[in-house]
Amino acid sequence: MSIGTTATTPEAATTSRPDSGPGPVPALTVENLTVRFSGLVALDDLSFTVAPGTIHALIGPNGAGKSTCFNVISGVYRATAGAVRYADKDLTRLAPHRIAQLGVARTFQNIVLTHGTVADNLMLGRHRLTRAGFTASALRLPHTVREQRRHRERAAEIADFLGLGPAFDKPVGGLAYGDRKRVEMARALCMEPRLLLLDEPVAGMHPTERSAMAETIARVRDALNISILIVEHDMGLIMRIADSVTVLDFGRLIADGPPERIQNDPAVISAYLGTPVQDTEPEPESATATDTSADTAEATVPDTERDSEETS
Amino acid sequence: MIKLTETVLNGLALGSVYALIALGFVVIFKASGVMNFAHGSLLLFGGYVTARLHDAIGFIPAVLVGAALAAALAGLVQLLATRGLRGAEIHTLTILTIGVDVLLSTELNRQVGADYLTMGDPWGADVTRLGSITVADARIAGIVVAVIVIGAFFAAFRWSRWGLSMRSAAADPEAAALMGIRLDRVRLIAWCVAGALAALAAVFLAAFPAPGLDRTTSQIALSAFPAAILGGMDSAVGALIGSLVIGLTAAMAAGYQNELSILGAGFSDVAPYLVMVLVLLVRPTGLFGSKELTRV
Amino acid sequence: MSDTRDTTGTVDTVAAPAPAPADSPSVQARWSDRLSPRGRRAATLAGGVLVLLALPFYVTSFWLQTGLFAMAAVIGAIGLNLLSGTTGQLSLGHAFFLAVGAYGYVWLAAEPSGTGSSTLYGLGLPPVLAFVLAIVLAGAAGGLFSPISGRLRGMYLGIATLALVFLGHHMMLNAPHVTGGFNGRSVPPLDILGFSFTDTSPDGLAVLGVPFGGLERLWYVGLTLVAVAWLAARNILRGRPGRALGAVRDSEVAAAVMGVHLTRYRASAFIVSSMYAGAAGALLALVFKRVVPDHFGLLLSIDYLAMIVIGGLGSVGGAACGAVFVALIPHLLTKYADDLPLLTAPGTTGSGVSPGDAARYLYGTAIVLVLIFAPGGLAGLAHRRPRRKGEGSPRTRRFPLRTRTTPKEHTP
Repeated sequence: MSIGTTATTPEAATTSRPDSGPGPVPALTVENLTVRFSGLVALDDLSFTVAPGTIHALIGPNGAGKSTCFNVISGVYRATAGAVRYADKDLTRLAPHRIAQLGVARTFQNIVLTHGTVADNLMLGRHRLTRAGFTASALRLPHTVREQRRHRERAAEIADFLGLGPAFDKPVGGLAYGDRKRVEMARALCMEPRLLLLDEPVAGMHPTERSAMAETIARVRDALNISILIVEHDMGLIMRIADSVTVLDFGRLIADGPPERIQNDPAVISAYLGTPVQDTEPEPESATATDTSADTAEATVPDTERDSEETS
Repeated sequence: MIKLTETVLNGLALGSVYALIALGFVVIFKASGVMNFAHGSLLLFGGYVTARLHDAIGFIPAVLVGAALAAALAGLVQLLATRGLRGAEIHTLTILTIGVDVLLSTELNRQVGADYLTMGDPWGADVTRLGSITVADARIAGIVVAVIVIGAFFAAFRWSRWGLSMRSAAADPEAAALMGIRLDRVRLIAWCVAGALAALAAVFLAAFPAPGLDRTTSQIALSAFPAAILGGMDSAVGALIGSLVIGLTAAMAAGYQNELSILGAGFSDVAPYLVMVLVLLVRPTGLFGSKELTRV
Repeated sequence: MSDTRDTTGTVDTVAAPAPAPADSPSVQARWSDRLSPRGRRAATLAGGVLVLLALPFYVTSFWLQTGLFAMAAVIGAIGLNLLSGTTGQLSLGHAFFLAVGAYGYVWLAAEPSGTGSSTLYGLGLPPVLAFVLAIVLAGAAGGLFSPISGRLRGMYLGIATLALVFLGHHMMLNAPHVTGGFNGRSVPPLDILGFSFTDTSPDGLAVLGVPFGGLERLWYVGLTLVAVAWLAARNILRGRPGRALGAVRDSEVAAAVMGVHLTRYRASAFIVSSMYAGAAGALLALVFKRVVPDHFGLLLSIDYLAMIVIGGLGSVGGAACGAVFVALIPHLLTKYADDLPLLTAPGTTGSGVSPGDAARYLYGTAIVLVLIFAPGGLAGLAHRRPRRKGEGSPRTRRFPLRTRTTPKEHTP
């Protein structure tokens, strides 16, 4: 997949957005968030802010509470205490579909697609932007047909943007892993989000797919000017594209700041390794990363055992 | 007051028989995630075997053989289900048990015919009088047997290797499998235990004051569904309490049907379902059912 | 006959190449996979419709009546399939909503009659209006159940709906002034502006020399209803609601974070399914000419589940095929009981299996075999690539993916 060759740019996409929501992109503020599961503390008094229009990374070793944090923001889990403020609302008090209505979209770590074609999945992403109910759909009322056609065109644009154009009408069940991962991303983009939550968007992908996805994420942010909160274990990618990084360990915040500072933070290094850092085998991305960005020390924070499992 | 006491005793007796059935539902549900709609047929099958054999080999052996064969049949259903449907959705498995039930109940109904089969139980129509209260011996026996069997069940569930495997398999099948627990065997045993419990329940459902085992006995067994759901499908304690609630409800509705005549004739048959709907309105996963935490 | 032309018209539109291909992705994908060209399929469909339209001119009333039973079953099965097949919500209460439709029609259309304890209430509405309102009534009954149908999932709902069948049966027996009690109540015939769907009025009606009695006339009403029910279901499934319902089945969490209101969609699917059952029940009442409570028991609900399972969960066409299969078998076995081995005609003594039992053996076996060997049901077989129910769904794929490529993260 090469984004450079795709016809549709996100810029073009912006103009045809049917509903971009009122006003500028709001900030997401996590305030003293605590989540407990029957005695087990998954998140402990966590606070951080995702500034509007930035790519904010949430990192930490396995079990640090990153996914739990995502699940609370998207309304899947209930918080024990604390709040998640977004657009004058406390997301911890809203049901998932109400949060989606606010323009918060997410992907899942273990791909969660529905039956049917890529188009079906992307059109599900258009759910919050469309209105057709049972009666109108059953009777195929003219405005319903028009609505469906219009949104299908937009979904096709987004599929092209992610290099899924040729697979648009194919069943998702038959797609390769990387393609399925991109369908998740495309479906989230189909919601025309103002806050995009990406849960390990490149886990399990080939190195080339990874760098393409990294580029896509950066371009989405630049073109749509939306906020992106990303959980990822690929440190090369994080250091390359993130504007800001929050590090969790055992549900607690241990560092928060720009990537350069995080890389050299002793607390972060010891959380990942338990010992002072040694240079490990470079990630496949490090080559691309050094080519394309000024970040040179991406291997300073080596990945956990997790990434070596993935690439093996 | 006498009537109330008798009614409550009847309710407890009915409730303990329901508990034998409802525990079976719960065990199967915990092990396989399936609601076993063939349970009524398993029960009828166990009762039928007992009814046919007791003349030849005596009551107790007949009950044991009935329980063993019902356990075997339940195991067979489980094997059928897992063999064909490895990896299929649990929903499909539940519907499969409906298909099995259609087959079993049709055949059993043909065998039982329009007769009432006696179970040959030693209690017959005897009653015990405690002061001015009259209770059928069969009901007392039902309560005693149920308490013993259910006690043994809970002990096994709590302390035996099988119980431990069973509980860990229900909590996290993947982790349990990785820990070396043989899920297939745990499930098979669960189904067999449930089948045996159902066969035992059949004996007391058919005993006095019921006229005997007939084709509607499996319908009565359906009342254990509300009992299991009421308590929460994945809670053994819930099944126990749900069964007592349903048993008491049914006994009350039957005992006081003249006072409840405004609710229509035959209200006692549907009262358990009404109670279940009312409970579900307040608690969608039953009284003790765990609200499942979705993993993403 | 004007309604029949309407039927062909609509069905042909679907069979012809879709005017807006953008609207039917799933169909496109499916057709492109098929060996036979699209035209052949259209021709088959058109041929089938023509045969159905012509049948009353050639077959006896037994076949017409059996066919009408099958049509009612098709409508009911399409509705249950929307709920259980597409949304993944099990219902054993379908018989209850069929009863609401049947008794609703009778009560709305019948004139009050009798006195004292044998009084029968009725609103005496025009039968067509009564038919429509009976469907609405069934939908309203489904709506009343929405505190349960919206919040309970899958199998819990299955057992909760069991209550509807028993409570419904209890009400039917205990409201004799509406339902006629145990012996039931006779059904006022359908009548459109004086054209009666009975053997009379107009008396001795004949088309092309073939006498057109009540069954012949009802046949076309049935066909129209089936066509409308079929098209409405397909449109719903291909539209926004259908995708939302499918998502509720495949992953509640994914559906919710995409903005699907889970409670509302579960309840809506239940209501729509109830309305289909209401239409099926009202049609059944018209064919039976008498409604009795015992028809609407748990066995009927299980019949409907059997239909959609045998047909293939989630497919409208499959549900229809399954419905025809399950609905026809008992009638055929009864008719040919004398000629078939092992069978004993009802009412006679003999050691053989009664046709009713034989039918239940057949479809019980069919359920088990279909689920084990062809989980896609008849619809899956017709597509020559049985779509296993779990294909592409996270539930069946998650485990291998997790171990191979996505190490499981500890998610407390």
